[in-house]
Amino acid sequence: MLFLLLLLPSLLAALLALVVRPYRPAVGWSNAVLSLAAFGAALGVAGHAIAGEILVWGPGDLFRADSLSALLMVCVSAVAAMTLFLSPGLGRSAAFTDRQLRRYHLFINLFIFSMLLAVSVNNIGIMWIAIEATTVFSAMVIPLTLSKASVEASWKYILICSVGIALAFVGTVLGYFDFVALSGRAENALNWPVLLNFAPHLHPEVMRIAFIFLLIGYGTKAGLAPMHTWLPDAHSESPATLSALMSGVLLAVAMYALLRWKMVVDATLGDGFTDTLLLTLGLLTLFIAAFSLVRASNYKRMLAYSSVEHTGLICIGLALGPIGTFAAMYHIVNHAAAKSMMFFLSGRILHRFHSTELGAVRGLLKVMPATAILFAAGMLALVGLPPFGLFMSEFALVRAGFVTGHPWLMALLLVLLAVAFVALLRHLNSMLHGTPTAEIATGEDHRWGLVPMLMSVAVLLVLGFYLPASFQSLLDGIAALVTH
Amino acid sequence: MDETLFAPLTTLGASLVLLFGVVLLWRRSLNAYIQAFKWQSVILSGVFFLVGYFGHDPELYGVGVALLGLKVFFIPHLLGRLRKRVGADHEITPYVNIATSLLIGGMLVLLAYVLMRPVVTVSTLPTRGALPLALGLVFIGLFVLITRKKAITQVVGFLVMENGIALLAVLGTYGIPLIIEMGVFLDLLMGILVMQVFIYQIQDTFESIDVDRLTHLKH
Repeated sequence: MLFLLLLLPSLLAALLALVVRPYRPAVGWSNAVLSLAAFGAALGVAGHAIAGEILVWGPGDLFRADSLSALLMVCVSAVAAMTLFLSPGLGRSAAFTDRQLRRYHLFINLFIFSMLLAVSVNNIGIMWIAIEATTVFSAMVIPLTLSKASVEASWKYILICSVGIALAFVGTVLGYFDFVALSGRAENALNWPVLLNFAPHLHPEVMRIAFIFLLIGYGTKAGLAPMHTWLPDAHSESPATLSALMSGVLLAVAMYALLRWKMVVDATLGDGFTDTLLLTLGLLTLFIAAFSLVRASNYKRMLAYSSVEHTGLICIGLALGPIGTFAAMYHIVNHAAAKSMMFFLSGRILHRFHSTELGAVRGLLKVMPATAILFAAGMLALVGLPPFGLFMSEFALVRAGFVTGHPWLMALLLVLLAVAFVALLRHLNSMLHGTPTAEIATGEDHRWGLVPMLMSVAVLLVLGFYLPASFQSLLDGIAALVTH
Repeated sequence: MDETLFAPLTTLGASLVLLFGVVLLWRRSLNAYIQAFKWQSVILSGVFFLVGYFGHDPELYGVGVALLGLKVFFIPHLLGRLRKRVGADHEITPYVNIATSLLIGGMLVLLAYVLMRPVVTVSTLPTRGALPLALGLVFIGLFVLITRKKAITQVVGFLVMENGIALLAVLGTYGIPLIIEMGVFLDLLMGILVMQVFIYQIQDTFESIDVDRLTHLKH
C-alpha cells in the first residue's frame, strides 16, 4: 500500500497537468499538495526500514524497500516536494506561457515518478528502465525557453546519457547472462535479492566485465569523470527547480543503482576489484571538479561542478567498506539538502540579475539580503565547514579512509577539497560584496518562497550537530547490507 | 529443423546484422544510413524468430513482431520524414574519414572479441560464437555516434548501438524477461520521439543540424 501512496501522487499530478488545458495555477498547487502525500509515504517506508522490516509488495515481488531504498525515497520525495512548491506557475508571474507551464508540470512529475520507481522496484532490469526514463523526461524540461545554449545542452544531455545508460544495459545483460547459463531461466532472476543470493556461484570473469560496463553506464548518469561533460551544461541551462532535482537527487539515484550492482559483484568477486575502480574514478572526478571550480565563471556551472565534486566523494565513500558506505549515504542526504537549496536560490538570483555570469552578480548582500545570507550559508555547508551536516559526513568519510588503510589517498583527497574550498569561497565573496549596477532593484520579493530554504538550513544544522537515533539506525541498516 | 543448424544460422544472422552496421562506416548519404538501419532490424528480428524456434520460447516471436513494427516500419519512417523536413542529405565531412573509419571499425570488432573471450569460454550456449559480433556492433554504433556530425546520423548511430545490445541480449540469454523487453521498447520509443523534437529545435535555433555548430557552452 505504501508503495502506491509513494508512486501514484506523481502520476496523478502528471495526468492533471496533461488533461487541464490551458494551464491553471490550481494545477501547480494540487501537484505541490500531492507531492506531500508521497513524502509522507516515504517517511512511512523509512519507519518500517528503521524497525528492521523489509517491505515487499506487488505481483512477483515487484516492489521492495530496505533501508537503502527508504533513504533514497525520503531524499527524492523531499526535494521533489520543495521543487513543486517553488515551481513556476504557482503565482501570477508572466515569465512563461501556459503551454510551457503545462509541459513543465507534465514532465517534471513524470521525472519524479521515474526516480521514485527506480528506487522502489525490486527488479534491477526495471530499475534500469526507470533510470533511462529519467533522462527522457528531464530532457524535455531543460529547454523550457528555447535558446541556442539550452537546445545544445539538452541535445548533449540526452545523447550522452542515453549512450551511457545503454552501456549499463550491456552490463545488466551480462550479469543476467551468467545467471541464466548456470541456473536456467527464471522470471524473478533479475530481482535483486535472488541475484545477490546466487552471486557467489557466478563466474568472476563475466562479472568483472559486467561491472565495468555498469560503472561506465551508471557513472555517466551520476556525473563521474570523464563521463561528466554533459552535467555542467545541462544543470546550467535548466530551470532552477529542475537543476535542484537533477543535482540534489538524480545523481544520488544513479549512485544507488551502482551500489546495488556493487553488492552483487562484490559477492562474486570479494572486495577489492570494485573498490579499486571506484576509488580511481572517484579521485579523478574530484580532481577534475576541483580545478574546474577554480576556472568557473558562471555561478550555475559552479554549483554543477560542485555536484561533480560531491559525486566523486560519494563514489570514494562507497569504496571504503561499510563505514565508508555509511559516510557516503550520510553525505547523499546532506548534499541533497544543501545543493537543492542552492539551485533554488540561484533561480532567485538569476531572476533579479538576469545573468548567470559570476561577473554580473555584485553586492548580493545589499540587493537581496535574505537570499544572500542563505546562499552564503549553503556555500559554507558545501565547502564542508561546521556546523553543517556536510562537515560531519566528510569527516566520517575521511575517517573511514584512514581506518581502511588509505592514508595517502585521504591526504590527496584533502588537498583537492582545499582547492575546491578556496575556489568556492573566492567566488562567493565576489558575489556577496561589491556595488551592484544601478538598474538592479533591491529588496526581496516572494518572501514565502524562502521558507523551504530555511527548512533545508535547519536540516543541515541539525545533522551538523548530532545524528538523530532513527536516522542513525537507517544508515546502520545500509552499512549492514554491505557487510558480509 | 535440425538442431545442429542453430549455431551456424545464428552466427550467420549476427554477421549480417554486423555487416549492416559496417555499411554506416562507408556510406555518406543519410538515406543509406536509414536504409541500413532498417535492413539490419529486419535481420535482427529474424534472429529473434530463430532463437525463439530453436530455444522453444514462443514469447520471442511476439518480441520479434514488436521489433519489426518499431524498428523496421515506425522509426525508419520517422527518420525519413525528419530528413526531408530538415533538408539534410549527406554527411559531408565526418570527423574521421571513411578509410580510417573502416580500419577503426575492424579494430573495434577485434576488441569485442578480446573483451568477450571470458564470456564465450564459460558459456555452453550454441549461440556463444556470435556474442562478440553483437558487442562489436555496439562499439561500431558508438563510434558512428561520436564521429559523425549530423544530428540524424548520431541518432542512427545510437539506434545501431541499441540493435547491438538487443542482439547481445537475445543470443546470450535467449531473451530477457518479457516485461523488461517491453520496457526497453517503450524507453526507446520515447527517446526517439524526444530526440526528434530536439532535432527540430536544433534546426530552428541553429538553422542547421550540424552538431559541430553546438559550441555555445564553455566554462
